[in-house]
Amino acid sequence: MASRSVSPGGALLRASRMFSLPNPIPPPVTDSSSGATSFSSNTATLDFPTHQVITTLSSARKQGDWGLKRPLPLKSTTRSTHPMLRVKAIDTIEQITDYTSATDHGMTLRKFQELGMPLTARRPAGGDTGDNSKGKQTATMNLPQKSVFEDELDVTDMHPDKRAKAIDNRWRFNGPWLAGMTEGKFQKWLEKEVRPRRPEFREFLRKKIAGELRAAAANEALDKGTEAPGPVGPSSVTEDQLIDYLRKLRHNNQALYDLVGQFLDLAPLIPPNISQLDLPAGFSNIEWRQMRNPYAEGGPPVTHPSAGISYLRTSMYMDNHPIYGPQKQHPSVVARIVKPRRQAQASPAKLGVAGFIVNTPLGDTKFNSKNNDLFDKIDPSVVGGPKVWVQPKRASVDANGRVVLTVDDAPAEARLVAQELLGLATCLGARRDEGQAGRPESASEIRQRYAAADAPAMSSIQNYGIQR
Amino acid sequence: MSSRQWLSSAMRQCKSQQPRAFSTAVPVAAGLRSIFGPKNNEFHGLLKEGFERGNPLSEAEQRQIMDQQAPRASIQDLRGREVTEAYVRQMPRRWRTGEVYAPKDLSPVEMKKFRQGKRPNKDVVDMFGFNPLDNYRNFSLISEFMTSMGRIKHSSETGLRPVNQRKMAKAIRRAIGMGLHPSVHKHPEILRRGRHGLPTSAIPTPTEARQNVL
Repeated sequence: MASRSVSPGGALLRASRMFSLPNPIPPPVTDSSSGATSFSSNTATLDFPTHQVITTLSSARKQGDWGLKRPLPLKSTTRSTHPMLRVKAIDTIEQITDYTSATDHGMTLRKFQELGMPLTARRPAGGDTGDNSKGKQTATMNLPQKSVFEDELDVTDMHPDKRAKAIDNRWRFNGPWLAGMTEGKFQKWLEKEVRPRRPEFREFLRKKIAGELRAAAANEALDKGTEAPGPVGPSSVTEDQLIDYLRKLRHNNQALYDLVGQFLDLAPLIPPNISQLDLPAGFSNIEWRQMRNPYAEGGPPVTHPSAGISYLRTSMYMDNHPIYGPQKQHPSVVARIVKPRRQAQASPAKLGVAGFIVNTPLGDTKFNSKNNDLFDKIDPSVVGGPKVWVQPKRASVDANGRVVLTVDDAPAEARLVAQELLGLATCLGARRDEGQAGRPESASEIRQRYAAADAPAMSSIQNYGIQR
Repeated sequence: MSSRQWLSSAMRQCKSQQPRAFSTAVPVAAGLRSIFGPKNNEFHGLLKEGFERGNPLSEAEQRQIMDQQAPRASIQDLRGREVTEAYVRQMPRRWRTGEVYAPKDLSPVEMKKFRQGKRPNKDVVDMFGFNPLDNYRNFSLISEFMTSMGRIKHSSETGLRPVNQRKMAKAIRRAIGMGLHPSVHKHPEILRRGRHGLPTSAIPTPTEARQNVL
């Protein structure tokens, strides 16, 4: 649709920030809004931002100019080091601009991008080959995951007839994810959405039957060597044929689920265990097809599976250190111990990495060693709270829009290099100035420092005679 | 609860016994130090030694000192644990993986909000799609909607919409009227669970006959 030509003033207004702020997105489902708990806070930081974060230049900020309808109060907007605001309403009936600080989400985004992590989707059990044997399943557990931006995973615009074929790769579905619905919600959905569509489903089945009949007739003709019969229309399928088909379908749970799922465009589910079904004896021979969609286990994400926090496609790159050269590992990062481990309640510690709550790694790590005071106790004398070095491994977005990071123990070398870059450790005698600790250095600063420190001989351009 | 009480009482005993172990030397030496001032450290040391040498310890006292010295690490341990307990009690928020936290979320003001339970804003009956009247025998459900004094909770506490609140109230009245549920306090089975520290949510519903035997 061609836009109507507007006056210069109108064009200016349309291009202005005041008019370009997008509408807020629906807030995340919290425990209290889902009714899971009555203990909640309405002021806690949301799992993802719902409003656009805006910022301004420092000179404009001094005048309160944020590009909005009126200048914002200087007292509450000029104190912050990082000018980030979210505007809830440009104008209200009280003639004020409703705004709050947005440093919580803004800084979280910056910190996350510092990690250099790509957002990934879980690889299906059995890997890309579709081999579901046991050895293969475990072999893919620790493989690098697939980026959510891979072409085969990142498809939303497709013809409705081709939707069913791409069921293993899609992330957006028109129908709900049944495993995430409560019983009451499910009943209501059946009542409101599904029941009225019964005639439509019969029509859908007729089309299926017609397709099958035509295929069978064509096969027969091919065997006999006669001419292929004409197309069979859905209207030519009799009521008896339809009822017969329905009867057959009732005894084939996988085919029934496939057709219903195709018709309602349901998000894929992982098939249940036979033991979970609690069926009477004699029903144990039910067969399910493995679902290979990466979102079958936890439900499809509410946003794009990258959530827009990182556009990297892979973590298969090497970090370069100005002195030590390419690094095997990505730099380790500091994690805050947000909640200590409670061994009596068997609840593990919760870590905070880049502003996201992270689970401690499983297996043989220092997080699972017994009697480690760092994880078991809170020492109020530690300034800034207890912290540990960890190595971020994977990041993905779950069905509720939360960023799920996976971390591991920090390898000693990666940790030392990261600590040295922050001035918290000394390698090769090149010490940093007092008071400079905690500030990241540029590559040239590091080279100068090493040259001045008379560190052990290291190869450089001069050593190779390339440059004098 | 009881273990914490035991710990604190153990600590109190340790604290009260500590000066007694050096009752002969330390308080007197400390008193002398205050008289002579902090500069006369050598003199103070001599004095202390003299006092200690001058009064040979009895066997019982020696054993007491040995006992005091040995578990010093564990006393430190206990103290650290007590401090941790005290801090953990101030942090009622249950962090979920992937939640975003900013500095303000770790503040006491924010943490306090997680301690106060709020009225549920979801109708659980609608959410789970069950009929309360069919569940009059489910005592763990019934006791969720009663106070400990046996009164039916108001809809402002239960968060049920009027239709469901009426149904739930009727189920409660029915359970009490049939003598299935006490009208003055919690159900004994709930009390028993609470006493053993078991979660009440894990009580099987009495709908299936084989599960009726707890």
